[in-house]
Amino acid sequence: MKLQHYLGGLEGLGPVSTETRVFVDVWETRIFGIHTAMMALSPQLPLPETPSTFNTIWTWADLRKGAESLNPFDYFRFRYYEKWLGGISGYFIDNGYITAEELDALTEEYYSEPSKPLPGAGDEAIDQRVVQYLVEGDSPKRDVTVTFEFKVGDTVAIRNVPTVEHTRLPGFLRNKFGTIETVYDGAYTYLCDTGPDGVGAAMPVYCVRFEPSDLWPDNAEKNFSLYADLYAHYVEAPEAAEASKAA
Amino acid sequence: MIDRFHYRQDREAYSAARVKALEALLIKKGVITDRTVDTVLDFFETRMGPFNGAKIVARAWVDPAFKDRLVADTPKAIAELQLPEGMAGAEGEHMRAVANAPDVHNLIICTLCSCYPWPVLGLPPYWYKDPTFRSRAAREPRAVLTEFGLAVPDAVEIKVWDSSAQIRWFVVPERPAGTDGLSEAELEALVTPEAMMGVAVARAA
Repeated sequence: MKLQHYLGGLEGLGPVSTETRVFVDVWETRIFGIHTAMMALSPQLPLPETPSTFNTIWTWADLRKGAESLNPFDYFRFRYYEKWLGGISGYFIDNGYITAEELDALTEEYYSEPSKPLPGAGDEAIDQRVVQYLVEGDSPKRDVTVTFEFKVGDTVAIRNVPTVEHTRLPGFLRNKFGTIETVYDGAYTYLCDTGPDGVGAAMPVYCVRFEPSDLWPDNAEKNFSLYADLYAHYVEAPEAAEASKAA
Repeated sequence: MIDRFHYRQDREAYSAARVKALEALLIKKGVITDRTVDTVLDFFETRMGPFNGAKIVARAWVDPAFKDRLVADTPKAIAELQLPEGMAGAEGEHMRAVANAPDVHNLIICTLCSCYPWPVLGLPPYWYKDPTFRSRAAREPRAVLTEFGLAVPDAVEIKVWDSSAQIRWFVVPERPAGTDGLSEAELEALVTPEAMMGVAVARAA
C-alpha cells in the first residue's frame, strides 16, 4: 500500500492551502517547461521527427510513478515542483543523457553565479513540435469495439486490485459500492500498462457515484455526493465481488 | 504555505541553480533548444489559460441553450466559440463541464495527482495540488469551502468530482445577481479559475 494512493479522507491534517498562484517561485516555471517539452518530444507520439536527441518515453505516468515511489514522508516534505525537479533530473541521469557529476558541478556554477546565461543552441523544429503537441494533444480514446458491462443506474463493486508502482484507482474507493452515473462513449487507454493493477489497454470508463456515508460511516458531511471516473477494470458486478470473497 | 519539515536555508536558490543547470545541460546535449522552455511558458500566457474558460462561462450565462449544449457535449460546444486553436489539445482532449444551480454546487478534485483542464483553465494553482485539500475535500467539502471563504448552505447539495481517469473537468458557476446590464466581455472579468473549479463562486464586481 502506498500512502500517495490513499489521500482521500485522511484526518487530522489542519487547514488547506488557499494559495492561488500556479508557481510560487520563478524557478518552478523552468521545470514545468522542461517536463512539457519531454511530453511533446516523447517518441511514441505521431508527431514529426526533429533533431532532438530525446529518444525515451516520458508521459504523465512516468512523472506520477516517480512521485508515488517516494518515501511518503518525502512526498509530503517536498513542494509540488520540487518533486518534479527531483524526478526529472533523476530520469535524465538514469537514462544516460547527463551524469550526476556534471549536474552537480553545473549546479554549483549557477549557484555562485545565478546570472550566468544559458547556452544558446537548438533547432527550431524542436520547438515547433512542442507547440504542435500542445495544440493537438494526445487523446487516449481509441476506436475499438469493447463491451459495456454496465449501464446508468447499475450498482457496481470496486475491486481491490494489487497496487504495484502505479494506479488510477483511489484507495478510499476500494471494496466500496457505487452507482453508474455516466457510461462514457468509446474506449480509453492509459499512458502505460500498470501490470496487475490492470489499466493500459483501451477499455470503457464509467463515472461512478458514491454515497459519502458508505465511504466514511458516521463520519461524513451531509448532503453531498462523491463521483469518480473509473476504468472498467476497477469495476465489477456486486455478485462477482461476493463470489471472490467466498472463494 | 505551511512548512512542516526542516529545509535548507537556501532552498529556493539551490533549486533555481539546479533547474538552470538541468536546462543548460539539456540544451547542450540537444534534447531541447534555448527557446523551448520560453515557448511553453509563452503558450500558457497567450493561448491556453483561464481567459478561455472565462469566455466559455460568460457565453453560457448569456445563452442558456449554449449552456445546455456545453453540459451535454463539452468539446462540441467549446468548438462553436472563436477560441485559440488547441481547445482539444494537451490535457483537454476529453473535457466535461458541470453547471451549478440554486440547489447544486460542484467541486472538482483529483485525489491521485493534479488533473486539470489546461486549454480552458491553464495550469493548476497550488491550492488544487495541496495534499491536505486533496484529502479533505473528499470527506468534508463544506468545511474545506468555508476555509476558502465560501459558505454553501446545508440545503444545497455538493457534488464532488474526482478526476481519476482521462476526463478533465470544470464548473460553470452561476451568473451573479446584479449583472443584467453587463456585456459578455464585462462578464468574463467576473469568472475566476477558483469559480471554475468550485472553491469559489462568481461575484459581481
